[in-house]
Amino acid sequence: MKIRLKKIMLYLIAFFWAGVTLFPLIITLLCSVKDNTGILQGMFSLPNKIMWSNYTRAFESAHVIQAVGNSLFFALTSTALTILIGILASYILSRKNFKGRNFIYTLFIIGIMVPIHCTIIPISSMATRVNGKNTSWFLILVYTAFALSQAVFLFTGYLNGVSRELDEAAIIDGCNDFQLLFKILFPVCLPIISTEAILAFIAGYGELIFGMILLSDPNKYTVARAMLTFQGGYKISLGPVFACIIIAIVPMITIYILFHEKVQDGMLNGAIKG
Amino acid sequence: MKKFKSKMIIICFLMPALFLLVAFILYPVCNTMYLSLCKWNGIYGSPVEFVAFKNYIQVLKDNFFWKSLLNSIFFMIGGFFILMPLSFGLALIITSKLKGKKFFKTAYFMPMMLSTTAVGLMWVYLLNPSYGAVNQFLETLGLEGYMHDWLSTPGLNIWCVILVNEWMAAGYNMLIFAAGLVSIPNEIYEAAEIDGCTGWKKIKHISIPLCKDSFKIFSVLCITGCLRTFDLIWAMTKGGPNHTSEVPASLLYNEAFSYKAFGKSSAIGVLLLIIGITLSLILNRKLKKED
Repeated sequence: MKIRLKKIMLYLIAFFWAGVTLFPLIITLLCSVKDNTGILQGMFSLPNKIMWSNYTRAFESAHVIQAVGNSLFFALTSTALTILIGILASYILSRKNFKGRNFIYTLFIIGIMVPIHCTIIPISSMATRVNGKNTSWFLILVYTAFALSQAVFLFTGYLNGVSRELDEAAIIDGCNDFQLLFKILFPVCLPIISTEAILAFIAGYGELIFGMILLSDPNKYTVARAMLTFQGGYKISLGPVFACIIIAIVPMITIYILFHEKVQDGMLNGAIKG
Repeated sequence: MKKFKSKMIIICFLMPALFLLVAFILYPVCNTMYLSLCKWNGIYGSPVEFVAFKNYIQVLKDNFFWKSLLNSIFFMIGGFFILMPLSFGLALIITSKLKGKKFFKTAYFMPMMLSTTAVGLMWVYLLNPSYGAVNQFLETLGLEGYMHDWLSTPGLNIWCVILVNEWMAAGYNMLIFAAGLVSIPNEIYEAAEIDGCTGWKKIKHISIPLCKDSFKIFSVLCITGCLRTFDLIWAMTKGGPNHTSEVPASLLYNEAFSYKAFGKSSAIGVLLLIIGITLSLILNRKLKKED
């Protein structure tokens, strides 16, 4: 009896928090197909008439599709770059002996500890100097730089745990450094690479502050940057704002639903090893 | 010749990473340190005037700076007194024998996937004083007295942002605790049950002490994360009204890009960096000592 009661309590708590987590999403979804009076009367109520036009209006005026596209592009390219550049550096830091190795490794560790906000002013004036404002390449390089330190840290740690006998065998078979890294070690490191890819991609998609200081052209806006303009943009009609929020979060939710275990493992690994 | 080749490889492989690290992180940090000793309006090409420690004095005399630090401390308090028990509780649920725990796990973690800005914006509308769901909910319950203009009331607004932050981060920290709980061998629980240790006692005497590593990871992430909070504040209040919900990072942004006080803003940046690094060093040392 007592055990049963305990179980019911647990279920209640579990469902309660699931409700708390999902309700804001559901309400946003509901409001995205309501007209203004519907929203003002009550956010909870079901829409009396489904206004798909909110979505067409969102598509037309808020650059939201463009922003989602931009963010996906920035996140994907910077993730790919982070992994490529990170694994190259980590290979050297883990496999080669040379003077100053520990010093360079420490520099990357410092890179992890620096809060990004300390760098925004110099990066902003640097962007002006090299004509990097409103350009994709500059933003991608910035995103890559900030994901890179963590990548080097994670990859080097992982590579240090991979047996060197593997290298020796490969070298005897005539592998050069490129082949050794990309044909042999890269596949071995896939678990940690996917962890870093997930972390870098999520960070890149939602990144806000560099989007704010480096972008002023609405055609280049990232999702986070564009979302801030929704707030002011639709003073009178609220429906399209909610539609924009939904459009902005759909890509991540889709990715999450498809790969939720991988994503959870990745985020957890990042936390534990970082 | 061979030695030369291997040196070339070291340089070629390391170069891209080092370049990005130096260009976008190390050089900017040094530049921020230099700028913090100068007066500059931020316009590229306009003169930079050296003023020594004037900016620091200005910052340390500024009430808003102390207020923003206090708000960061509130974030940490919220982290340890709300987020930690909450995530630990959720971790207990998803590692228990409930049916459908996979669904719960997936649902709880969901907010972490939405970008912070989207979460902030969603809650701005939910907390809206005239039509927001939160006030409507209170009204239906007959608790009109508790209805507020949540994000514009000083003192209340920062806690609203903190609670939204906990709402968002609970699922993520839950995974950290769950990883700790799963690693506790079942035999220990069985042995404890034989000794008559059940329910709360089991959690208190076994789960919590044996999850020490998870608690350590949580502390480090929480403290460093709290000092860096920016996105959520920016999406929800922009530090306002009248700087009451400012955190150091948003103050830094406002000083630079709203008031063009780039020197003062850099000084805040350097202070933030020093506080951050000191805290993580202290924390690391303390946690190492415990082992």
